[in-house]
Amino acid sequence: MSIRNLAVPGLLAIAIAITGFVACSSEREASAPSQTRVADPSDVIDEQLMVSLAQAKNFHRKAKVYMSDGNLAAATASVRQILSLRFPAGAPEAEDVRLDARALLAKLLVSQGQVEEAMRTVQEGLAQSQRESFFVANLHTVQGEIHEARAAQLDGEGEPSKAKAIEERRAAIAAYDHSIQINEKLQKQLMEDR
Amino acid sequence: MATHDNDFLTGPVPEPEAEATSAERAYAKTFADVVDKTLSGRAPAAMSADDRALIEVATVIRAANGTMELAPSKQRSIIEDALRQAVGTGASTSGSVTPIARGRAKRWVPWTVAAMSTLVAAAAILLLWLRVPTTTVVQAPQAAAVPTSWTSRPADPLIGPIAREHAGDASSRIDYLFADRLDGFRERRLSGGKP
Repeated sequence: MSIRNLAVPGLLAIAIAITGFVACSSEREASAPSQTRVADPSDVIDEQLMVSLAQAKNFHRKAKVYMSDGNLAAATASVRQILSLRFPAGAPEAEDVRLDARALLAKLLVSQGQVEEAMRTVQEGLAQSQRESFFVANLHTVQGEIHEARAAQLDGEGEPSKAKAIEERRAAIAAYDHSIQINEKLQKQLMEDR
Repeated sequence: MATHDNDFLTGPVPEPEAEATSAERAYAKTFADVVDKTLSGRAPAAMSADDRALIEVATVIRAANGTMELAPSKQRSIIEDALRQAVGTGASTSGSVTPIARGRAKRWVPWTVAAMSTLVAAAAILLLWLRVPTTTVVQAPQAAAVPTSWTSRPADPLIGPIAREHAGDASSRIDYLFADRLDGFRERRLSGGKP
């Protein structure tokens, strides 16, 4: 058989081999992990969330003991530790627990005369919140209390600070109104959901 | 040594220098006539089996020498067919000569098949190369069936609006929240994670 006669079946064999190779490689690509994925189910309560909640609970208990003992500084430090707890990514409880810890922390700071630090704590919490909740509303309530505390301080400074005190009281009313608005909105939503 | 007319093939072999007998000469002459007639197409209708075998051998020897020719009528037919095909008129009557054009076409058939196969292969490669992989999202059936109490979710429905006098009562709220989530967690664990 001459070379010319061998060329035809050879060419056919190469063509079939290339087709087969490509078909096989495409099947391999199809089974790659990027092709088919399972949708994430709703996040269920897992061990990590329970551990984080248990730690927050313990820090609150510790702070309560310190407060009953009159050690506000230690109580403040205990509550601060709640803010650095690690929760499962995306767990809605994390934001609620942190906002509630900030509310208590701000109140502890106000009781220790650290009004500006308390206001910073509240403002950071409001800035970090990603949804409206009763805990956000509560933080607005605490913000109103801080404004009231500021107004009381300004009252003590005499006549020159009277205008600023009035301004703080107006800010307190605005914060309380904001808190009421959020509460009403959420309550309405909950009623509709039921 | 007794001899008979038809015992040449089965009888004893004569000596190399022995003189042919008159009977042998007569038989040789008769057989030569039969051979001549057979080669000219006038074979006798009946002959002995030995004679027929010898005639066949003689025919084969003659054909091997290359002296056999086609009949004049057959020769004429083939030449006329070839000339007719060369000038492109009419079909072959004998069927023994392949037309030049058909011969060329036959030569290109395997190449055409090979080229078509290669084109198909190239098209398949291009198609598979350019094809955009589709992403199929498979919805897990248990996702919708998981009870709400098992899921991580906002604490608003559980806690409700927080009164001003309880603004700093975070300790009791975390206790309540922890207890509720622990219930869901235990429920899920005890049921093996299935609703």
